[in-house]
Amino acid sequence: MAEALLPEGLREPALTDGAITLGELDDRVLSVPETRPPAKWFAAFALTSAISAVGLACIAYTLYTGIGAWGNNSPVFWAFDIINFVFWVGIGHAGTLISAILFLFRKRWRNSIARYAEAMTIFAVICAAIFPLIHVGRPWLAFWLFPYPNQRALWPNFRSPLLWDVFAVNTYFIVSLLFWFLGMVPDIASMRDRAKDPRLKFAYTALSVGWRGSAEHWQHYEKAYLLLAGLATGLVLSVHSVVSFDFAVSVVPGWHMTIFPPYFVTGAIFAGFAMVMMVLIVVRETMDLKHLITMYHLEVMNKVILGTSCLMGYAYMMEGFTAWYSQNQFIHHAFKQYLWGAYGWAGWTVLVCNVLIPQLFWSSRLRRSYPSMIFVAAAVTIGMWFERFVIIVMSLQQDYLPSSWRLYQPTLIDFGILLGSFGIFFSLVLLFARVLPVIATTEVKAILPGYQPAHGGDHDRA
Amino acid sequence: MTEPSAARAWAVIGLFERPEDLLRAAARLRGSPLGRVQAYTPYPVHHLDEALGLRRSPLGGMVFVMGVLGALTAFAFQYWMSAVDYPIVTGGKSPRSWQAFVPITFEVMVLFATLTAGLGMLFLLNRLPDIFHPMLASRAMEKITRDRFALALESSGGQGVDVDAAKKVILELGAQEVEVLPLPAPAPAAPLNFLLGLGGALVAACVLAGYSTYWVIKLYPELPPMSHMERQPRLNAQSPSGFFKDGRGMRPAPVGSVARGHRPYLIKTPEEAARLVNPLPRTTETMEKGRVLYAVYCRVCHGFLGDGRTTLTSAYGAKPADLRIKRLALAPDGTIYHAIMVGKNAMPSYAYELKEDERWAVIHYLRALQRAQDARESDIP
Ligand code: HEC
Repeated sequence: MAEALLPEGLREPALTDGAITLGELDDRVLSVPETRPPAKWFAAFALTSAISAVGLACIAYTLYTGIGAWGNNSPVFWAFDIINFVFWVGIGHAGTLISAILFLFRKRWRNSIARYAEAMTIFAVICAAIFPLIHVGRPWLAFWLFPYPNQRALWPNFRSPLLWDVFAVNTYFIVSLLFWFLGMVPDIASMRDRAKDPRLKFAYTALSVGWRGSAEHWQHYEKAYLLLAGLATGLVLSVHSVVSFDFAVSVVPGWHMTIFPPYFVTGAIFAGFAMVMMVLIVVRETMDLKHLITMYHLEVMNKVILGTSCLMGYAYMMEGFTAWYSQNQFIHHAFKQYLWGAYGWAGWTVLVCNVLIPQLFWSSRLRRSYPSMIFVAAAVTIGMWFERFVIIVMSLQQDYLPSSWRLYQPTLIDFGILLGSFGIFFSLVLLFARVLPVIATTEVKAILPGYQPAHGGDHDRA
Repeated sequence: MTEPSAARAWAVIGLFERPEDLLRAAARLRGSPLGRVQAYTPYPVHHLDEALGLRRSPLGGMVFVMGVLGALTAFAFQYWMSAVDYPIVTGGKSPRSWQAFVPITFEVMVLFATLTAGLGMLFLLNRLPDIFHPMLASRAMEKITRDRFALALESSGGQGVDVDAAKKVILELGAQEVEVLPLPAPAPAAPLNFLLGLGGALVAACVLAGYSTYWVIKLYPELPPMSHMERQPRLNAQSPSGFFKDGRGMRPAPVGSVARGHRPYLIKTPEEAARLVNPLPRTTETMEKGRVLYAVYCRVCHGFLGDGRTTLTSAYGAKPADLRIKRLALAPDGTIYHAIMVGKNAMPSYAYELKEDERWAVIHYLRALQRAQDARESDIP
């Protein structure tokens, strides 16, 4: 293979610690749903569901009283709702990047973490979708967003980036779900054939839609997977670009910039990797998967975090440069607000967390130590949340009309819903870890050393 | 169809331990007259499709066609909706500015293409879901999805596979284990019952959901918070409210305040009012205005002609004045103005309903009514 031609230092190291046979892999990964979860799991799940309950209660209160319960008020009509939406959608993008883009680049290390990352995509998009839905105030009328023939004889405005967003995010959710599910079908088939309990067996049979793993199945399957990866790659780039259009297409100073689409996409991947990182560390430790998710995996992920962090630094610089070069007093004002306004500390938090702290990863020792990984990943998550806060709230707070300037102040309900979304996300992650295969066993089997016939095929010689 | 016999089976499956063994065996068995050759593996094994001589998957073409179709659909729909059916100008752009339709066109293209790739692969090409396939009942399946590689000779067209011959061939190829799936394949009755049951349950669920939704909406057209903003913390005209101490939703004007178009009226008696002079010129517009206002406010009681022939029933209990009588015809405008302002006995005050100039306009019209019904010889030109 081409791998062999590379110099030693560039070759991909073994993707598992020690030799693992196909059966052992199944026993390690697929046996999880067969056992009763440990007490630790129950404790964690109780905690996350309590947090989700707080969030859901705040959402219920909002629905009952109206969104006056939040801090949003003229001129800051977008605040936590949209910040959280952009934040969560962004988190999801790491999953698609790992499962689709790295697949196209034939990065085999993606195989053992792709499943988890894809699951996180789904859960993150679910969390993201909550926010625009409750922001419309009357979510039971949210179907008005779709173009269906109605008695008002009206169509939605197809020139509005907000409608583009509806299509982008919905498509993204459906495609991610399909991608995730298709990847899981053969694994669920393995679980079906392991299951002893007839009810469980039936459930897995239905979920695996009767997958048999015949040569034809695999042939079409591989083709479909490749096509899906290609399509998802284009999609993931478009989704966050469209999200950035929500801002860039408007004329608000600080929003109206051409750098927004690539800048948002990079930020999304950056934040997403940090989140995947944190979850992977927990999974790796608690589920005894150290052999399959190796230090090498974590280290490559950290390199991606470092790379995207540098890109973010560049984007911030370019933003500042554009503002200065525009010679536009409104944009100048907006940018001064970012760093020296009432919420100036938020702007500095963004720079420190997103650009400075990840630079620690230049050291290979820090790339391989848990404390520094967790520290950086947490910093990035916080920094990326504040980045959206700065972009959204600061730009709106002081726009063209000084008479309507007003300092934005979030309410407790705002914080409650934000907290709740984390609860929902982690509850789903925990559930997933117990009922479905957390590692794409079929994909890992295909790359285990010695389990693919040598290139050219033995049958030629036979 | 042949009768099920000991010598014929639905499939004969051989299990191999290594993918290379499977590849070698598959290439040798290819085109065997004994039955359809099928391979089963726990993961996609490279070159297996070549060894079995499978045709290339047509999925790429399907996805391309559906992607193009998705893009065209999305673009055509957007164009028709926002440029033809209901053209709107947004941001000063022509309703036909197609550039704005590009993002959604792209998203829908991806959606169509992915659904085709994913579901087309599962349902069309792989003919799933098929959860009652005979292969799933085999013991070999449990090993296949774990770590074994299987090569099977399967019956095509219900003929069955010659067990002995097939077993021999497969063992010769180096299979470690052989399993025979008996003919006939597991009865299709179970799937039928199952499908009927599933369909029935779905229909029942839909009917139940439909009916309950219908009744819930009928019985509770608005359930908070889904009250369509009906219930709001606000003051409603002419209805009580707990917000003020006196329990009234409508507020009386603060003492001493003067509403627009109204001036404080300090005159107490008709005699005093007699000195008021009608400030309005007697023009067609004033007359027309007076006619309309008379019809709105006075006609119910005083009748079309001002003759006191009321359209009210006897329940009203009083007799509105005949406005044509001499006393009123000769009375100065001020006297009538006073009657409008303070009312008289059973006639309420119209001070609130009519603004100052409106009152005078009504008086002009009333004069016209009086004069019209008091024609003199000298009126004839
Ligand atoms: C609810 C029925 C009602 C309406 C409406 C009404 N009136 Fe009268 N009006 C009466 C009655 C009853 C009298 C007789 C009062 C009496 O003499 O006891 C009267 C008397 C009068 C008089 C004679 C007053 C006097 O000095 O004897 C005038 C002038 C008059 N109305 C004008 C009007 C005008 C102008 C309007 C419309 C703005 C109007 N009315 C609307 C019931 C009504």
